[in-house]
Amino acid sequence: MLRLTDIVGHATDADIAERLHQMEHDGVVERIHLSRRDLSRRRQRVTTDRGTEVALMLDRSSGLDNGAVLLLEPARAVLVVLDEPQWLVLGATSAAGALEAGYFAGNMHWKVRFDGERLWVLLEGPRDDYLKRLSHLLARGHAQVIDAPPAPAAGVRYLAVPHAH
Amino acid sequence: MSAQLNPHARPRGAARVGIGGPVGSGKTALLEQLIPRFMARGTDIAVITNDLVTAEDAERVRRSGLIAPERVLAVETGACPHTAIREDPTLNLAAADELDRAYPGLELILIESGGDNLASSFSLDLVDYWLFVIDVAGGDDIPRKRGLGVLQCDLLVINKVDLAPHVRVNLDRMVSEAHEVRLGRPTLLTNCAHGDGVDAVVERIAQEVLFDR
Repeated sequence: MLRLTDIVGHATDADIAERLHQMEHDGVVERIHLSRRDLSRRRQRVTTDRGTEVALMLDRSSGLDNGAVLLLEPARAVLVVLDEPQWLVLGATSAAGALEAGYFAGNMHWKVRFDGERLWVLLEGPRDDYLKRLSHLLARGHAQVIDAPPAPAAGVRYLAVPHAH
Repeated sequence: MSAQLNPHARPRGAARVGIGGPVGSGKTALLEQLIPRFMARGTDIAVITNDLVTAEDAERVRRSGLIAPERVLAVETGACPHTAIREDPTLNLAAADELDRAYPGLELILIESGGDNLASSFSLDLVDYWLFVIDVAGGDDIPRKRGLGVLQCDLLVINKVDLAPHVRVNLDRMVSEAHEVRLGRPTLLTNCAHGDGVDAVVERIAQEVLFDR
């Protein structure tokens, strides 16, 4: 098992980008695909896209992000790739429905993005689980799922919705 | 040899593992079973407990004689226990940092949450891995209620399995539904009163965050 303890750079750093480009040709760049949730973990067991088992043990002050480089050796590089976030896009059929959907998303601690009259819900689990939770709103027609949404624009903000407790 | 490729490379600071779940499910009992097992395998360990307005659980663990009392810190969460492990884990982060400073060789901090309902969950800013403990006496419908804790935890522990026949719980169905709602992520069965099944919990934690064996 490969034990990695540091973030040694970022794939967008000019010199590192050049090295990674060369190493790609040699087939020695390995990627760790992480969800946004797992990106928060400082310590975890993961597997690269080439099957290498990795014990990731970062300092508490470290923070992973998309493109973080964890190993840069002549014969091997390992970098982190953020999995494309999946969204459920909701529309409301009335102001009352919009209020209820917004309240409900907050109460469920879902991460959302506001987009005009649409509410984008970041999926941190199976889409069906979210639809089941929303079934009362959908059945009454207070909210509707907008299918086949376009990819979110760059710079999406993840908002933790406050809730009443 | 590169430090990064050193097979003995160690992180700075201990792994942090959360133990959450409803009141009475057996979180503290699990803690009391885990401590001696980790100590027996040579893991340098400390504990943080969360209580509403007392240090009841911390005192229970300190009095147990299982671990040096100074290695057990208490966080009083007030009326909203899940806040201290999710929305604002500042107090728990401070307690964990304090333990890391006090015990430089510390390898594992177990953070037991204050009792809460099925919706509690841990911030991954606070812990690296977390368990959610439910028990059969709470009803075999708990998994299919799809509470946040059951769905999102890294390891679901179903405790008090010995009581299943006495509370008319279909344990097989409960486990099956847990696997279904958790999409196959791990679920383990325990009887923390006697320690049954706890070795598997220790192995799972060691495998996922200690990397020492």
